[in-house]
Amino acid sequence: MSMLPYAVAAWLFGIGLYGIATSRNFIHLVGCLGVCQSATYVLLLGLGYRWGSIAPIFYDHPPGTPAVDPVMQALVLTDIVVGATLTALLLVLTIQAYKRGGSLDPEKLRPMRAGGKSGRDPGPSRVSDAERSVS
Amino acid sequence: MTLILPLLFLLTAVSGTAVVLVRDPARQIFAIAVNGLVLAILFDALQAPDVALSELAVGAAAVPLLFLVALMAVRTRPPEEKS
Repeated sequence: MSMLPYAVAAWLFGIGLYGIATSRNFIHLVGCLGVCQSATYVLLLGLGYRWGSIAPIFYDHPPGTPAVDPVMQALVLTDIVVGATLTALLLVLTIQAYKRGGSLDPEKLRPMRAGGKSGRDPGPSRVSDAERSVS
Repeated sequence: MTLILPLLFLLTAVSGTAVVLVRDPARQIFAIAVNGLVLAILFDALQAPDVALSELAVGAAAVPLLFLVALMAVRTRPPEEKS
């Protein structure tokens, strides 16, 4: 039983990495990154947990009662907020990439050009890309 | 009581796997919301009620709404229209 939190954290991180590597949609990819982040929540709370302890709130318990580690809970709280912020930022970047490149597929994303030429005038660059792939 | 914690850990692993394996983003939003709910229940069982409350607000409500807004912004704008 004591190895189960680490095993679940490793499984979540691995399956999240698999989803990121095989994703064909940027929105799906951000969701897979959220699974990777949930692995860190499970790992930190599994590190701080002790069997038969109370929550670290001593309102109706005498001081000195065995409690779980509150430092890990503070870390997980910070981790959740940072994760939500990162998800919002990456979704905004996804929408911008869709507006510029016209696709949500990471395989179809063209490299950015200096001076934003591909964003302002997509016609000639797309033709030159097609010619380059043909030749 | 000693059985509910391993069950919740395994449920967390299963719901995280479901988030990855559901490839359609519109269906993946539901999997993300269920994953956040399962994580909140797990945190409450791990004696972390404040973290569970935060995860319930963020992981089960705010993040799926963000995904919904992103999906809506992508779908209402066809790929041909360039700004």
